[in-house]
Amino acid sequence: MTDARHHRQRILAEVGEAGQRRLERSSVAIVGVGGLGSPVALYLAAAGVGRLGLIDDQPVELSNLNRQIIFEECDVGRPKVEAAAGRIRLLDPAIRLDELAENVRASNITGLLAEYDLVVDGTDAFETKFLLNDAAVLLHKTLVHGAVLQWGGQVTTVVPGGPCLRCLFQEPPEPDQVPSCEEAGIIGAATGVVGSVQAEEALKVLLGVGEPLSGRIFQHDGLRGETRITAYPRDPDCPVCSSHRRITDLSRYADQVSPRGHVLV
Amino acid sequence: MPAPAFTPEQRQRYARHLTLAEIGPAGQQRLRQSRVLIVGVGALGSPVALYLAAAGVGTMGLADHDRVRLSNLQRQIVHSVDGLEQAKVEVAARTVRALNPDVTVESIFATVDEGNAMSLLGRYDVIVDGTDSFRARYLLSDAAYLLGKPLVHGSIFRIEGQVTVFQPGRGCYRCLYPEPPPAGAIGESEQVGVLAALPGIIGTIQAAETIKLIAQVGDGLINRVLLHDAMAMTFQEVRYRRNRACPLCGDRPSIRSLVDYGAFTGAEAVR
Repeated sequence: MTDARHHRQRILAEVGEAGQRRLERSSVAIVGVGGLGSPVALYLAAAGVGRLGLIDDQPVELSNLNRQIIFEECDVGRPKVEAAAGRIRLLDPAIRLDELAENVRASNITGLLAEYDLVVDGTDAFETKFLLNDAAVLLHKTLVHGAVLQWGGQVTTVVPGGPCLRCLFQEPPEPDQVPSCEEAGIIGAATGVVGSVQAEEALKVLLGVGEPLSGRIFQHDGLRGETRITAYPRDPDCPVCSSHRRITDLSRYADQVSPRGHVLV
Repeated sequence: MPAPAFTPEQRQRYARHLTLAEIGPAGQQRLRQSRVLIVGVGALGSPVALYLAAAGVGTMGLADHDRVRLSNLQRQIVHSVDGLEQAKVEVAARTVRALNPDVTVESIFATVDEGNAMSLLGRYDVIVDGTDSFRARYLLSDAAYLLGKPLVHGSIFRIEGQVTVFQPGRGCYRCLYPEPPPAGAIGESEQVGVLAALPGIIGTIQAAETIKLIAQVGDGLINRVLLHDAMAMTFQEVRYRRNRACPLCGDRPSIRSLVDYGAFTGAEAVR
């Protein structure tokens, strides 16, 4: 990571020399290298985040390529983490990449996330999103949550001590309440908007600048061209982040999360 | 003549669009038959080119006079280290073709200026502004209006960005900004910082707006400009209307052909 590469970021008052070095020393786990993970990985790599953990157990499929811009057609059939790592190295060979071809579960998530400063949710099933939320709260790590469907999606940032996903939604929706991405369809640019917002959130948290979406949720409807940010409070009875918490470990999650394609991305 | 059917591979590639109510097979055909020109293949042009290629836009024109520099790779995700010092349009064309070989890429390694803008823009259905100077923004807006083409405008400055769509007859860049900023008021492009992910947000919204224009669905950002502040993390929508006194698209226009944009904007500026 030479000086010239991040020049335009170092001259930004909000980043500067110290901020750029801070990014270089930072590590981020990207859980799910798909529609959201593509822009998240590319922009965090471009920004100069020193270490990225790419976590996904799926191979690249042709039907991914309408939105998963980190891949190429010749990657079809290859493990996503391997293909994504190849592309990131073309952007910046100096970044440390951990290729973790695993599906996150209650039994492995603590180990997978332990080494990273921050977690970005690029997964596609609500049950996994709640598992990530609970794990992040229990591990005192910042989680940048994102979800997309059809033309839009949402982002909120769960920081230690701040409100969490369960303060907003309590429980994941029943699987049959939310159409799958496969059934409902998705436009690539929607994942791009949501993923880029997630990357921007991650950078601000790592740099310790600006106002992250803590206690606020960004909701974007690309079809209507409407964007809304709504504040939400901490739930004093939140099952995981309040003093009355009932969730103190991840045992409530079946060891195998729900089948893929359930929900988003 | 009916459009050719989709191959089994294309049905797989666009499966998530074919089930989407607003796209479906008819929308996918429109995308395939569309011609989009992206002017500026940098911070904004990168996500625009990638997401429009992924969406299956049939013909993509990429216009840029610059070469890939190391300092571009901090935000220009369509480029890579193996393309350093090569023409941006060539490097981007390679990435786009590798993502989706269905896309016909037309690389234009040139500055879009008063001399070539009308003939160049005239060959496309939708124009996307990914440039970084006021000279280019006024030029593209005037040329697109005179040709009757929609222009998807995006710009970024430090930690802020904006997006809007100029539909001919419903407002133009001059309606939003009648005068350019005084020369020198805003620093040279290379001396202004920018946060990596910000152009991703603005550029992907530009890509979504382009897809909506082509598929003729949704509510475009017409007469509305979306303003984003990365640090405060706010999105604000400001409405604007066609200015009846606009010298370009007003009731009694004085601009009927391209002017000298270097002189109008006091030479180069911005980001």
